[in-house]
Amino acid sequence: MVRFKHRYLLCEVVSDDPRCRLSLEDRVLGGLIRDTIARVHGTFGAASCSIGFAVRYLNAYTGVVLLRCRKEFYHLVCSALPFITYLENKGHRYPCFLNTLHVGGTIRTCQKFLIHYNRRQLLILLQSCTDEGERQAIQKSVTRSCLLEERSDEEFSESGEEEAAEAME
Amino acid sequence: MSNAKERKHAKKMRNQPTNVTLSSGFVADRGTKYHNGGGRPFHQAQKQEPFPGTSRQRQTKMTHHSPMDPDVKEQSSSKIMFKKKGGWKAGPEGMSQEIPKYITASTFAQARAAEISAMLKAVTQKSSNSLVFQTLPRHMRRRAMSHNVKRLPRRLREIAQKEAEKAVHQKKEHSKNKCHKARRCHKNRVLEFNRRQKKNIWLETHIWHAKRFHMVKKWGYCLGERPTVKSHRACYRAMTNRCLLQDLSYYCCLELKGKEEDILKALSPMCSIDAGLTFAAVHCLSGRRQGSVLLYRANRYPREMLGPVTFIWKSERTPSHTSESRQLWIWLHPTLKQDILEELKAACQCVEPIKPTVCTPGPLPTTSEEKSQTELPDEKIGKKRKRKDDGENGKPVKKVIGDGTRDPHQPSSWISAATGIIISDLTMEMNRLRLIGPLSHSILTEALKAASVQTVRVNATVVLYSTHVLLSKFEGEDTEKTPHHWWIETCKNPDSVSLHHRQEAIFELLGGITSPAEIPAGTILGLTVGDPRINLPPKRSKVLPNPEKCQDNEKVRQLLLEGVPVDCAHSFIWNQAICKNVTENKISDQDLNRRRSELLVPGSQLVLGPQESKIPILLIQQPGKVTGDDRRGWGSGWDILLPKGWGMAFWIPFIYRGARVGGLKESVMHSQYKRSPDIPGDFPDCPAGVVFAEEQAKNLLEKYKRRPPAKRPNYVKLGTLAPFCCPWEQLAQEWESRVQAQEESFVASSPSGEDSDSRRDKLPGAPTPENTDLQSDEGGTSPSSCSEPREVMDTECPAQVGTAWVAGQDATGSLLCVLRSRKWLKQLSTWCGPSSRDKRAARRTSGSGEPTPTRAAYLPLLERFPRALVWVSLALLRKGSPEPHSMICVPAEEDFLRLRGDQLYCGPQESKHSDPFKSEIRKQKERKKVEKRQNKQAPSEPEGLAGGPPAAGHRALTLGLWSGPLPGVTSHCSRVLLGFVTQGDFSMAVGGGEALGFVSLTGLLDMLSTQPAAERGLVLLRAPASPQYRFARIAVEV
Repeated sequence: MVRFKHRYLLCEVVSDDPRCRLSLEDRVLGGLIRDTIARVHGTFGAASCSIGFAVRYLNAYTGVVLLRCRKEFYHLVCSALPFITYLENKGHRYPCFLNTLHVGGTIRTCQKFLIHYNRRQLLILLQSCTDEGERQAIQKSVTRSCLLEERSDEEFSESGEEEAAEAME
Repeated sequence: MSNAKERKHAKKMRNQPTNVTLSSGFVADRGTKYHNGGGRPFHQAQKQEPFPGTSRQRQTKMTHHSPMDPDVKEQSSSKIMFKKKGGWKAGPEGMSQEIPKYITASTFAQARAAEISAMLKAVTQKSSNSLVFQTLPRHMRRRAMSHNVKRLPRRLREIAQKEAEKAVHQKKEHSKNKCHKARRCHKNRVLEFNRRQKKNIWLETHIWHAKRFHMVKKWGYCLGERPTVKSHRACYRAMTNRCLLQDLSYYCCLELKGKEEDILKALSPMCSIDAGLTFAAVHCLSGRRQGSVLLYRANRYPREMLGPVTFIWKSERTPSHTSESRQLWIWLHPTLKQDILEELKAACQCVEPIKPTVCTPGPLPTTSEEKSQTELPDEKIGKKRKRKDDGENGKPVKKVIGDGTRDPHQPSSWISAATGIIISDLTMEMNRLRLIGPLSHSILTEALKAASVQTVRVNATVVLYSTHVLLSKFEGEDTEKTPHHWWIETCKNPDSVSLHHRQEAIFELLGGITSPAEIPAGTILGLTVGDPRINLPPKRSKVLPNPEKCQDNEKVRQLLLEGVPVDCAHSFIWNQAICKNVTENKISDQDLNRRRSELLVPGSQLVLGPQESKIPILLIQQPGKVTGDDRRGWGSGWDILLPKGWGMAFWIPFIYRGARVGGLKESVMHSQYKRSPDIPGDFPDCPAGVVFAEEQAKNLLEKYKRRPPAKRPNYVKLGTLAPFCCPWEQLAQEWESRVQAQEESFVASSPSGEDSDSRRDKLPGAPTPENTDLQSDEGGTSPSSCSEPREVMDTECPAQVGTAWVAGQDATGSLLCVLRSRKWLKQLSTWCGPSSRDKRAARRTSGSGEPTPTRAAYLPLLERFPRALVWVSLALLRKGSPEPHSMICVPAEEDFLRLRGDQLYCGPQESKHSDPFKSEIRKQKERKKVEKRQNKQAPSEPEGLAGGPPAAGHRALTLGLWSGPLPGVTSHCSRVLLGFVTQGDFSMAVGGGEALGFVSLTGLLDMLSTQPAAERGLVLLRAPASPQYRFARIAVEV
């Protein structure tokens, strides 16, 4: 069908500084990448990449970022990503870099990849874990992620909300 | 972005994960999910290792497990993880309270797990509106995928299953306890039909109609509105040249039983001699003719009309028969029934309801039906089959015959303690079929054969005594067995046999008469006929008038001159016991066909002998067009009254003889071409007419609103104030005040005129200030102009002493009435005519010789009916076909001038009006937009506050319609409004546009008196959606 084709870049923000996670926001990250493209590829690159560029998903806890750009110019974006060395927010600079995990044609494939990737990570963590308590906690989360489909989501989120409220206090 | 678009977007994104940042907190559901799983252990951990300053920290802050980290660091193969861990561990603490200082494996795992779950949700759950198989690429789609789940790829089956279940629920639930075949089986079908006719009454021909007609639910019945085939012109041809058949069984019949004097006394206040013949008309009272009368509320003659009815008296059979008990049937339209029944009960003082079981001699026919009907739902389907096998109950399912909606305990008859008059409601107890057109005679005589007298041969030759002997023998053997013993009983009486023969002879004579119009109007002929199904032709055919029969002999001439003799009007249909017997003993179609198939020679005449049913019927001649000069007798025909249950048995034979069937639309066309008012639409002064007008206005408005504003006429710009309803009351009021104002000025200018004198006599204390007020108010808003004239009326009332009707008016409030006084209508029709015909007309009505209506001549009329409407017919001079709700206007001087100059002059044009509502509508729209924007900005504000008051405060404006109270309707356009058209179309009978409608009497007289003789009676017609006026000639037909 006739549509705009995109490329979705699934990246991971890796930083030494925990404060970096605090300032990880979609607008900040988007601006940073745009600046970097402009710096690396010049005005032409910045203009051609700015069409359709967006940060579609961002998770500060895991540092996962999903970027969208047009298919024609995703090479420009890809090549500009290694040049990001720090995240700047409110005057602070936190050194970090972006690690590209996957390049996909749809959000869906990226999501699927992310599921597999996270599972693999969890399993590796489980294998390498030595402490018993930790091990149990990890096991729990692993089983949770695998058994998700069987639970009803609505109940889940509601009860979760309550618990979260409790935890906040 | 519009609201709908937003919602769509939200629906699409509901399963997609949202961004999770530390600062954003836990607004997103994904975030909550994230914490859900880890909440518990984390909580515990916090408790175990309390940090003094962490109580208010975020949950993300984790307890520090130093021994864990090196292991992770060492063994983790992922560089990122390693880095991260190391970074967090190495990071300086105390930088900010909100920043997590450490990370543990469990936190890390929780974060991943939450992300996995969010992603899983996004991936597995579909968020688009499309069905599952629609998301598949083309090459993977298979035939019947939506039907058969197994054709889908396995991963999608589960979702597809859910979808399919949903779709099944959305579908209308079939009674799936039975398969199609079982549902189609006769018994279950009858059950189903009985259930379906509980809400709306079905006529006996319902199934036949439902297959061929557009059905509507109207007046508590299911009626055929119009045929599904194109047949407008064909139906007209049938009416003029052939025969049109209609089922009018939905007409209601009220029966009055009692002494003749009592009934007449009770009914006399309800009708007036002024408006035509009453119940006491000689022809009708004897039972020879059907009469028609307009009923009013008792003693309220010109006003508070109830509706038009027709009536038949049961003929007195013999002079010896005491006139103590007479029977009167009043036939009326179902919309009028409630009002008239109440009024009749009040007039006859019939208050005591009679229990249905004891009301008539012999059990009432309805009760048995109702019993069977109430039994039906209780019986289980499975049981029924068994029961039939047992032979315990041969006919478990009985078809509902008659009124299926009536409550069995509701009384249907009432008796008066004082006079002994019994009023009973015979609705649906009889069938009424109507044949219209010249061929109805041929069809009747072809289809119906008079019943054979049971002992014909004996009766004709043998002496009376021997007949008696024979009959008694016959009776002894057969009375118990044969169901038609009433007929055998009658055949014993030589008088009734001879009467039957005479009736038969007259009926045969009918076949030789070319048109029903030749017979005196309303002639009644009673008859007993054999089963019409027996001599059904094998194929549908068309009867032709038999020229051999059309001999101009003495008998026919006598019949045409004198009509049917009184005694021949007798029929056994008046006897309810016999009717019930006939209904119950009808041979079913199945039996009849079986016997026919058992005939030795296939196709030969079936002879049932004594088992053949004898059906008493009543034939009533319906006069066609009785008013006006042209096409007199058009649309005449015969009505046939049958006992219930026999509708289809007569219906099919008529159709097999070439009758075309018409529905409600055809009956409207019939009345329009007859130029008679249609019930209930053309009776604006009776309650049913008001209800009808309201409903019609509602429907038209709905239809109008369905179109986009650019594709529908802007009635405000066209100057049409009321395109969907006719404000009769306001019209009459405005004309009254208008004429008064004119006369005031006339008096002021020439005080010595003759008219002014009479005027002054009439209004000695007519207060001038009020009238000036009135003039100023005329152009103003309607509420004030509505109230003013009424006040004026009230002050004037004492001045107009002497007439009884005035006293009653103040109480009722509504002064509107329709002029139905025959004397005045005749006078009006002579005034309306053009000058050339005037002389003849004047000579004819020799009493009022004046061709020109002078004020002196019509003042008494105006006094009597200050706010009256007149039923007029209009014929267009040249082009144009009028529509309903067209406006009838008074032509101006210059129109006549131009018409005189140019014979082909079509008529003036209405100039464009300005639309004062357009800007208001635009403003409202803008206001709404602003409100919406505000709502969007502050969604926390309750919507009731923001959206409530404007919706309530402003009336809903529709572009192109006048909203709010109407201003002066008469003077709104360039030509003064006189009235409205209620029926109008191209008339195939005349070959030009014809319309029927009402005009204000005051306005009509005013117009006639001012118009020159040559152009008297010319008016302008304008359709609601057109600016073009067209000339039409007005006529009052009596």
